[in-house]
Amino acid sequence: MEMELKVNQDNCLGCGVCVVACPVNASISNEVAGGHGSKTTETIMMVENGFIKLFSPEKCTKCGTCQLFCPTDAIWLE
Amino acid sequence: MISNTKEVKALDFEISRSAEEKRELLYKDDICIGCGICEKTCPVDAIELGSIGAIVRTGADVPKIVCDEDKCVLCGMCSVVCPVDALEFKIDDESIKDMDEYPQLINSAEINDDTCIYCKACETACPRDSITIARDLPDRSKLVTGEIEIDKETCIDCGICEEMCPADAITMEHKLPTPDDPTVSSDIIVDKDKCVYCLICKKSCPVSAIKAACRTCSYGEYDLNPEDYKTTGSSFIDHETCVKCGWCQEICPVDAATVVKTFDGELSIDQDTCQACGACVDICPCNVLSFPESTKAGKRPEKVMSDENYCIYCGACESVCPVKAIDVKRTGIKHTPTKSKSWEKQIESLKT
Amino acid sequence: MPKHIVSGLKYLTAVELIREGYSQKEVAKILEMDRSTVSHYLNGRNLSWNSIEIAKKITEVCPKDFLILAYALMQDKARIVVKTCSVRDYKGIIKESCIGCGLCADICLMKAIVLNDLKAQIDSDWCCGCLICGESCPTNSIEILEVKNDF
Repeated sequence: MEMELKVNQDNCLGCGVCVVACPVNASISNEVAGGHGSKTTETIMMVENGFIKLFSPEKCTKCGTCQLFCPTDAIWLE
Repeated sequence: MISNTKEVKALDFEISRSAEEKRELLYKDDICIGCGICEKTCPVDAIELGSIGAIVRTGADVPKIVCDEDKCVLCGMCSVVCPVDALEFKIDDESIKDMDEYPQLINSAEINDDTCIYCKACETACPRDSITIARDLPDRSKLVTGEIEIDKETCIDCGICEEMCPADAITMEHKLPTPDDPTVSSDIIVDKDKCVYCLICKKSCPVSAIKAACRTCSYGEYDLNPEDYKTTGSSFIDHETCVKCGWCQEICPVDAATVVKTFDGELSIDQDTCQACGACVDICPCNVLSFPESTKAGKRPEKVMSDENYCIYCGACESVCPVKAIDVKRTGIKHTPTKSKSWEKQIESLKT
Repeated sequence: MPKHIVSGLKYLTAVELIREGYSQKEVAKILEMDRSTVSHYLNGRNLSWNSIEIAKKITEVCPKDFLILAYALMQDKARIVVKTCSVRDYKGIIKESCIGCGLCADICLMKAIVLNDLKAQIDSDWCCGCLICGESCPTNSIEILEVKNDF
């Protein structure tokens, strides 16, 4: 049973920890691998206008790293 | 029409079919390590491994595998290849583990109680908490001998010896003084089973009321019998959860533990691809993987390091890695023989 | 009407069994009937020729239809009727891809299949050629061949 990546912008602080922690993002974008926010919609998610937004959720491998790092339960798998 | 019935209990399931014989497949989620070997082996693609990284790391209330009861034909292959006992298969209430015609993976973990010194190192090291060591320690009184006597006439009931005794062997019966008996204690008792004849009480007594001598110090161990102060005990391995990883064998100081692994293989990590997310570290049932600490400022350690001594080549890390940085090769499989060509082929196909 | 067809089928079976050399007593036992009824059947009494005619036609339809019809009419007793009255003989070949799941053994109405060393085995004496086993086999491991009948 595949789980699905979900976000709740109401909880999001826009801190971008999930963007940087995500191992798939880091393998896609040099900025993210260098510890900065994503500048491309090729990554699974990025912060836009202060909130997290999913761009390429189909690339998610459901490893759960974003959920472990998110301080406010704004991104999770279910 | 003959069809399977499925019963789901929390995260566990039971699939069964009753006709000429009763066939049952029982899944226990708490034992499952999420390796996906069952999914790879199932000849009818009935088993699907869940989003194992998320399930293990976030504690999601989702089973690690699901089995489509309409596809499952109850052949029992998944049960045979499961590295733990998460999938049990029974025919007419008898486990196929006890049937000669079914092949079995060869693996074992044993602790020899004749050699074991009950140090509990294996119990602490076991990544699956499968080992229990029960030990009986000898009485302290069997390890030391001596004499102790308190002269109650001289004793002023100050309680210093009671407070000082490191073995809690001295007890005073404290009381309030009365005109009849103007003392603060009715008695002082030495428990000779607890006393280790360290002479602290004797030295701390302000009125020298205690006479004590350690016979072990003065005369050696002439009246001690080594048989009386042996630590005895027993070991227990829960084979349902044990993954035969080899931690107990490696850590045992007296070589009492022996582990035989099913798979030979090789584990490699591409350090350039690895993003150090830790999914593999969290999923590994054998504590093979860890994040190394930097040994020197400015020196970059490996992102994830592995100790293959403990690897069972189950492949859980490989399937959970989000960036495909891990490669688990299985080069050999030990299993008991089977006359069935298809079973042989399916088991051998686990080699990569 | 179903009763008449059953009688017809039993009649055909009884005649065939006698021809194969069974005694009337044995036939009665096999078909779970009175000995007197068997005797009446064999003497052409108590049975309309129509029933026999229809029963005969039923034995000649495709084996799966024959089996399913007979099974619907007389459940487990259909086994001996179908075995005895089948027009053709069959033999089953189990390929090495068989995983021994036992689905065919469970599904075979003729109870012609057993498992041996994780492999199905088809008893050609009982196989009626219905192919139901092959349809259910998850690994397509069953092949049923028609055997040339010398009679």
